[in-house]
Amino acid sequence: MREIWALATKDLRLLVRDKGGLFFTFFFPILYAVFFGTIFASMSGGGGSGTKIIVIDEDRSEASASFAASLEAESQFIVTPMEDRAAAQEIVRKGGQTAFVVIPEGFGDASIFQGEPMELVLGVDPSKAAEAGLIQGLVTAKAYERLQDLFLDPDIARDMAQDSIASIDDSDLNPAQKLIFKTFLNSLDTFLVQAPEAGVFGGDDAADSEGDGGPAFNPVSIQSVELVGDEGPSPYAIAFPQGIIWGIMGCAAGFGISLVTERNRGTLTRLRTAPMGRSRVLLGKGLACFLTTVGVSTVLLVLLTAVFGVTPSSVPLLLVAVLSVAVCFVGIMMLLSTLGRTEAAAGGIGWAAMIVMAMLGGGMMPLAFMKGWMITLSHLSPVKWSILAMEGAIWRDFGPADMLLPCLVLMTVGIAGFVVGSKMFDWTEH
Amino acid sequence: MITLDTISKRFGSITAVDGLSLAIEPGEVFGLLGPNGAGKSTTIAMTVGLLSPDSGTVRIDGGDPVDAAVRASLGVAPQSLAIYDEMTARENLVFFGSIYGLDGATRTRRADELLELVGLTDRARDRVKGFSGGMKRRVNLACALVHDPRVVLLDEPTAGVDPQSRHAIFEIVRELQDQGRTIVYTTHYMEEAQKLCSRVGVIDKGNLLALDSVDGLICEHGGESVVRIERAEGEERVQTAEPLAVLQRAAREREHDGRAGRSARSGDSLSESHRPEPQGLSGTSPERALGREQRHSRACARGS
Repeated sequence: MREIWALATKDLRLLVRDKGGLFFTFFFPILYAVFFGTIFASMSGGGGSGTKIIVIDEDRSEASASFAASLEAESQFIVTPMEDRAAAQEIVRKGGQTAFVVIPEGFGDASIFQGEPMELVLGVDPSKAAEAGLIQGLVTAKAYERLQDLFLDPDIARDMAQDSIASIDDSDLNPAQKLIFKTFLNSLDTFLVQAPEAGVFGGDDAADSEGDGGPAFNPVSIQSVELVGDEGPSPYAIAFPQGIIWGIMGCAAGFGISLVTERNRGTLTRLRTAPMGRSRVLLGKGLACFLTTVGVSTVLLVLLTAVFGVTPSSVPLLLVAVLSVAVCFVGIMMLLSTLGRTEAAAGGIGWAAMIVMAMLGGGMMPLAFMKGWMITLSHLSPVKWSILAMEGAIWRDFGPADMLLPCLVLMTVGIAGFVVGSKMFDWTEH
Repeated sequence: MITLDTISKRFGSITAVDGLSLAIEPGEVFGLLGPNGAGKSTTIAMTVGLLSPDSGTVRIDGGDPVDAAVRASLGVAPQSLAIYDEMTARENLVFFGSIYGLDGATRTRRADELLELVGLTDRARDRVKGFSGGMKRRVNLACALVHDPRVVLLDEPTAGVDPQSRHAIFEIVRELQDQGRTIVYTTHYMEEAQKLCSRVGVIDKGNLLALDSVDGLICEHGGESVVRIERAEGEERVQTAEPLAVLQRAAREREHDGRAGRSARSGDSLSESHRPEPQGLSGTSPERALGREQRHSRACARGS
């Protein structure tokens, strides 16, 4: 163990003396996290396609089914129908889907003439700030389309008007107000009888025509559900895990290249003449990479807590996440070191691989902007699982069971990568 | 004792070492002489267990060099500078001491001793990247000695160094020899082998062409040197056992002719045209020596 420790400390010393490497390992991720955290903080919307949402129809009425169908017909949504609101909320909280829309009981009975807006419940993954505004906008638009349908269908509108007239007597309105509303609704009822005969609702043009605007009223009410805490996570809590992953990718690339450098310069040969196995030499390199990735994570997480006031939801689980991510990228480092014969080749190929992993894993752009098959491919990216594990422990309120899958994936990738990388490294040496 | 028993190594279609056998005695300085690509480094790699021979065996004091205990007794200075540029000379030594399991106090003591041995005590705390090629070579050599090995393998330790460092390395090798260490020294300079080695194996294309002391090799295969002098009237070849004396005599003649020419006709180029042009010592340069060894070997093979 002493020899492995000596090898690791040697590599850490070399890292500290490489100013460029040190910058990209420790300071670049901080810049990344602060930069994107600030952007997310001021972000008010975004755009995308193929956003995955869950729709829960609790009303089970003709109207709610029609509204759910309209959401499914929207090209920018990929809708998964569910029945259990709590289960849907959990899925979104854990990052499985971007949002959920609940069509609550009573949706079909809402009467706008009695001041009862169509109510909807919306929950959006807090890390998908770019999509949140878009989703709310699209859901609202679909609700207004529903409203438009009501007005354009005189039978439905008459039913609503007559229901409202019947309920006026039981309302808390004073006599003067009751008279005014009855007069208005009776006039509306008469209008709804005569208007179709006069061809007022005659064609599509009517639906497209714009009115002069009416009195301000809100016929659609969308209640937002905070999935995490009262105010949702800090934008820095969302940005920092991505920054950490970028720093860790820099570590993995750097140590992978250093292994190629050692092989080409002959220091690896010298190390292998020492009375320790080849595996110990590689373990020493792996330990140095592991310690550096843990160091990067620790520095950024301390900064996140001390400067930006974000308290992780679970420190023990965060520790598990950090260690799992570190193991994963040690394995990736070993694989990268076998991809090039020269430092330049290893560096180029290594960073290309990292960028692809980051792109697929949502480390560069929101997954919502990707095609469906790319979103499916993102499950293969360790970046996705790394971010999920970190977010789970920082603000997604993951429990141990929730952390199991991402951490298991990361550990498996890490161990398999190290074993395969070691074999390939041995093979390339010969 | 180092024993190589008919070891062979192929890389694809290339035979790097072809049935090489050697026995190197304890305390001996053994030279492995050959041109670039002769198979010297491959032989060293198999000797220290970095490469497995395709056939044949390697034994060091009866043990397999793959064994940790055997490796602990070996010190290797590879041909490439296997040190860390961003670390100081002392840090390099301490690091290589640590991977051999030396404790802190021993590492520090050995680092001090070796810095003294290679003449770099005053540069101990400087990063190696600022060192000259010769100084780096000395650090490279010191790193091979930090764990006090019984057997030291030096793979072309003077490649690309200045005369001062080269001399310093010679002195270090002699001191190691005085300490009773077994040394395997690869080089393609006959002069180095002649100065340092008690025995020399001449290797080319993976074959051992000759094995003897340097004097024995020159006596048996080299014969007398041939000095070729170019004059205006033609080339003169002199076969001699004392080539330096012939060269000095030719230089004196040139000097004498030059003075005579200037006193007769100042600026007359005729005197210059009579200047003897010593071209070198045929038979003492390593390439010519090796070529001769090869020819001799073939002649022996044909004779047998």
